[in-house]
Amino acid sequence: MLLAHGVGGRQDLPIPFSAALAGAIIALLVSFAALGVLWTEPRLGGTLARVRPLSGLFQRAVSSNGWAWTWRIVGLVVAAYFCVGLVFGPDDVDNPTAGAFYVLFWVGLVPLSLLLGPVWRALNPLRTLHLLASRALRRDPDAGLRPLPDGVGYWPAAAGLFAFVWLELVAPDRATLPVIGIWLGAYAVIMLTGAVVFGARWFDKADAFEAYSDLIGRLAPVVRRDDGQVAWRNSLDGMSGLRPAPGLPVLVVMLLGSTMYDSLSGAPVWVRFVQDSPLPAPVVGTAGLVLVIGLVLGAFLGTTALAGRRGATEPRVMAGELAHSIVPIAVGYLIAHYYTLFLLEGQRTIALLSDPLVTGADWLGTAGWTVGGLGNTPAGIAMLQVTVIIIGHVLGTVLAHDRALALLPRRTAVTGQIPLLALMVLYTVMGLLLLFAA
Amino acid sequence: MTPAPARLRSLLSGLVLGAALLGGVSACSGSSADTAPASATVGVKEINVTIAAKSVTPPPGRIDVTKGQTVRITVTSDVADEAHVHGYDKGASLQPGTPATIEFVADQDGLFEVETHESGLQLFQLAVR
Repeated sequence: MLLAHGVGGRQDLPIPFSAALAGAIIALLVSFAALGVLWTEPRLGGTLARVRPLSGLFQRAVSSNGWAWTWRIVGLVVAAYFCVGLVFGPDDVDNPTAGAFYVLFWVGLVPLSLLLGPVWRALNPLRTLHLLASRALRRDPDAGLRPLPDGVGYWPAAAGLFAFVWLELVAPDRATLPVIGIWLGAYAVIMLTGAVVFGARWFDKADAFEAYSDLIGRLAPVVRRDDGQVAWRNSLDGMSGLRPAPGLPVLVVMLLGSTMYDSLSGAPVWVRFVQDSPLPAPVVGTAGLVLVIGLVLGAFLGTTALAGRRGATEPRVMAGELAHSIVPIAVGYLIAHYYTLFLLEGQRTIALLSDPLVTGADWLGTAGWTVGGLGNTPAGIAMLQVTVIIIGHVLGTVLAHDRALALLPRRTAVTGQIPLLALMVLYTVMGLLLLFAA
Repeated sequence: MTPAPARLRSLLSGLVLGAALLGGVSACSGSSADTAPASATVGVKEINVTIAAKSVTPPPGRIDVTKGQTVRITVTSDVADEAHVHGYDKGASLQPGTPATIEFVADQDGLFEVETHESGLQLFQLAVR
């Protein structure tokens, strides 16, 4: 990332780093042991009949047609406002476009989705444009020219996510307007073309941002059921409802692996390596990104195959069935990694957004904002980072345990998970080491 | 894994920094630059960097600075370029062989990258605490 990350380094931890590491591992081992003894039946991912619908006026409001259109229009207006700076603003550090795209949008989708569910589906301006065009042509938006083959799965979204993380973390001049503009232009063309060919379902499986928001949104405490009712539910039930599909393991692993690469690329040792290398920086960066994602994926596929062997299940089935357990780990890591960036650059970007043309205007009244820590201390941030990483891994362990009970024979259900436990410990240690790499 | 003295040191510095910054951060949302009479006793942090044939000397690393301290960065490049401190948005244009200086008070805590725009090199990371 070209923008400033905030404080919250190894030196800021109020406890020694080795103690934090040991604490994280102990938390995993204790939860694993406790789960083995106390959680002996699969409980998660059941039907949404158990959830409690919201009542009364609020339910009617969120179920109305006006509600959906309100958010579609909000999405269009926000996207149009974003395009003012992108298209007409000067290409300098006071232009809010890079901050709005990489910080407010990409990072901001994490807390929004975590609280409210798959919000980008409701806001996505491309989906709305496709819907409006379909209405104008009196066509069914869900009917394309041909059906989307099931075998496609999440592969288009995984490719889109890779294209995005490559842009965010590796691409030369990635904070400049032409680079962001060309990327977004290509993305819009591919999304809209796909929607014309395959119908609106294309966005579900191919829009990287919808897939990202949907994965994280499965941890939200609210859900919209198929009947349109909005209800409270257990976040773990939501996460467990993520069913295997082609490309899903790669998609979730990429979320974790790319964030780990971002941590690595900020470490002075990596900066020195890149700058001393005779190869151009984007080549080394691309190789590094692919390598880190590849290692995280290799560890995941290897351990799930081992766990599957215990239960005489196909390795591929096991990887798909356990992919959901990686999502909370990735979310914990995303929060830990981006918290200070979001806090500091987010405030700065909101100030800059008030003047997207950099003419001294103050359209939103936020131009005078000064960036403050909002009560966050480096020690507090460092502890928060360790805490969310541990919570993410413990939730991942719970999800994997519950799924293993359903898949593996009773006799080997607990011992069969030992490779998965090793994987969780490995991810925790690597995650903390990279996060606090300095 | 970490030797005991380092552990103790990091614990102590963590506690001290945590306590110091508890006050510092809450004050920073108001008037940030003028709140640092306590740390004005710390001297100016001099940082010298040379760029030759796209190679940075000393090699890029992390440089610790106390919040409120004045930072004076002197960059000498063998080609014309632009040096830039992210976050603080301070810069200087570099003429071949002529040292250029960027001086400012590090009044925002955080980790800030200092780099050149044309050659895209990272010179160092400034860790302000």
